[in-house]
Amino acid sequence: MEQLEKEHILVRPEDYDKNFSTLNLGPTHPATHGIFQNILTMNGETIIDAEQTIGYIHRSFEKLAERRAFYQITTLTDRLNYCSSPINNIGWQMTIEKLLGVETSKRIDYMRIIVMELARIADHLICNSVIGVDSGALTGFVYVFQQREKIYEIYEEICGARLTTNLGRIGGFERDFSPSVVKKIKEFISNLPKVIRQFEKLLYRNRIFMDRTINVGGISAERALNYGFTGPCLRAAGVDYDVRAMNPYSSYNDFEFTIPVGTNGDTYDRFCVRQEEIWQSISLVKNALENLPEGSYHMDVPEFYLPPKEDVYSKMESLIWHFKIVMGEIEVPVGEVYHSVEGGNGELGFYLVSDGGRTPYRLHFRRPCFIYYQAFPEMVRGSFLSDAILTMSSMNVIAGELDA
Amino acid sequence: MSQYNIVDPPEGYSAPGFFATTLDRVVGLARKNSIWPLPFATSCCGIEFMATMGANYDLARFGAERMSFSPRQADLLMVMGTIAKKMGPIVNQVYEQMAEPRWVMAVGACASSGGIFDTYSVLQGIDKVVPVDVYVPGCPPRPEQIIDGFMKIQELVGSESLRRRYSPEYRVLLEKYGIK
Amino acid sequence: MERLLIQNSLQEKFMDAIISFDDSSDIFTVTVKKQVIVDVILFIKEELGFQFLTDLCGIHYPDQEFQLGVVYHLHNLPLNTRIRVKTFTSLAEPEIDTLTTVFSGANWMERETYDFFGIIFTNHPNLIRILNVEYLDYFPMRKEYPLEDQTRTDKDDRFFGR
Repeated sequence: MEQLEKEHILVRPEDYDKNFSTLNLGPTHPATHGIFQNILTMNGETIIDAEQTIGYIHRSFEKLAERRAFYQITTLTDRLNYCSSPINNIGWQMTIEKLLGVETSKRIDYMRIIVMELARIADHLICNSVIGVDSGALTGFVYVFQQREKIYEIYEEICGARLTTNLGRIGGFERDFSPSVVKKIKEFISNLPKVIRQFEKLLYRNRIFMDRTINVGGISAERALNYGFTGPCLRAAGVDYDVRAMNPYSSYNDFEFTIPVGTNGDTYDRFCVRQEEIWQSISLVKNALENLPEGSYHMDVPEFYLPPKEDVYSKMESLIWHFKIVMGEIEVPVGEVYHSVEGGNGELGFYLVSDGGRTPYRLHFRRPCFIYYQAFPEMVRGSFLSDAILTMSSMNVIAGELDA
Repeated sequence: MSQYNIVDPPEGYSAPGFFATTLDRVVGLARKNSIWPLPFATSCCGIEFMATMGANYDLARFGAERMSFSPRQADLLMVMGTIAKKMGPIVNQVYEQMAEPRWVMAVGACASSGGIFDTYSVLQGIDKVVPVDVYVPGCPPRPEQIIDGFMKIQELVGSESLRRRYSPEYRVLLEKYGIK
Repeated sequence: MERLLIQNSLQEKFMDAIISFDDSSDIFTVTVKKQVIVDVILFIKEELGFQFLTDLCGIHYPDQEFQLGVVYHLHNLPLNTRIRVKTFTSLAEPEIDTLTTVFSGANWMERETYDFFGIIFTNHPNLIRILNVEYLDYFPMRKEYPLEDQTRTDKDDRFFGR
């Protein structure tokens, strides 16, 4: 194995005259936020080619999913894009609801929108502040992480966990939003704009930042579509494809929000698209919270929704349902379904093939990072090493989602 | 004044103008309050580490102000996150590059024992490739737990004998992992 | 876009090479023979406007005659329609033509399918393992292989109900 590694780095005989050097960037490198390796062939400081090796955190989710009952897979989906776990959890629950044919009420949809948009804010905050860190601006990171702590507190009130939330149930939520959740969200939404404006003042029109990011790592819209880009990277290239607008799920079509679109597809456009999406998410959370209708926090799906503990300890029927659900002895319809949600990085898809057993026959995750990271060599060919670092961090490659 | 804990000085003999104690206690005291960690952040536990480093749960109070990303300049290897079989030799290589005295902290369930990923591609715990001093369980552990693990490392550092790294038992331990 | 329109235009162009149409799931599904898969997808991309490759994955049915399958999801962005194309091949001859000439994004997705199922994509620019270690000598997602690493010593299977 070590021999194979060395073969990658040795200069090939036909390149001796060309004066190219090979630089091994990773897998453990402070600038690659995650574990993946890039072997760059360079002529001085210009990059001629890049070769990627991934799989350093391959945890075989798809094989694991064939062994786990539906509720146990929610913990796996947490760990895909771990910066915004609720989006993955809710996407998975919506996939099962699509298979079962369960329709959720407006209240559940609006609650889901609030949680998902908070997760999107958290994800974009990390990505943008890390672009700042990689170009030398560490202050923004520290300001913004404090707000992420507030989002963690909100998650803790809703589901009990900070990062890997394992949130929600098939058909709704496990408990209603308590008054302290609503108070915390209102406080957060009223304080966040001030902090974001401070953060933007540091970087948006900063001469150094603009010089380092404009026309760096660009990709055209045709090439991006050919590669299968989705999310902020595609929207920065000029294509306004957002799953929330194209195939609305969870009542997103009740709300008005704009889809920010860039022009060149370079790093500055990706930064600006993400910033603007944070503003859109803030207004979505505010609208959803103000118009939250009354109702129950879960649908009536007794075969899949764990009954409340008071009923389990007192009623026989709830005890039986609880046992059957936890053991996974439920009748599941046979069929296949594909459902996608707009994750922090783009279209996160779940392709579920069920054969009626307690576990899926095949579950495939369509991971946006994995698909658009292939275009990285094309984006950095001909630019400098420092540009490659910024391109990589602006693409927001999360290693958990890349390798799954 | 009463709400603050004043740490006692190490055992020794003191009189006006001087304080006499053993060398390893003084060296331990100096080392434990200036540990330079290497954050080997692989996955979700890495994000909790970023929160620990942030302003709310500041790890810099404990002397870990300077995160070293180069193993040559680090004292403590904090492995945070799942280590796949592909990554095992790299953890070993990073550990070998560190200079003595070095400590290892396995943060999270995946680094301690493979966690929820009992599969063919995940290393079931980094103690298969490097000797580990402190294990911090959790998935992911809260920042308070990471700080607790860090304080246990500080205890280990402060009470370590100066001759430990040259002792035959330590040689045997490193031989077991194939580290020279 | 009407499913009948897609069905008729595909039927007209490819006649026998189409094995079946399936309208029962949420997305219209077409199963074709593996010899024409690239032509079918090129036709769907150019003529019917499905310009976006959403997903490419493999699947293994050990009970069928043609055990290994590849499932393609495509998306027509202007008209907001999706289509699913499936093709199957036998274990003895697991070769299918590569899609990288049509979509550049199929590169890594085909490598992942090769890594997990052992389906060999002919004329692929770089068909080596992508996620697993290079020295792994079997294809882990096939149904006959277990999930756990059988050489591990610290976990006792008796306690895990296996």
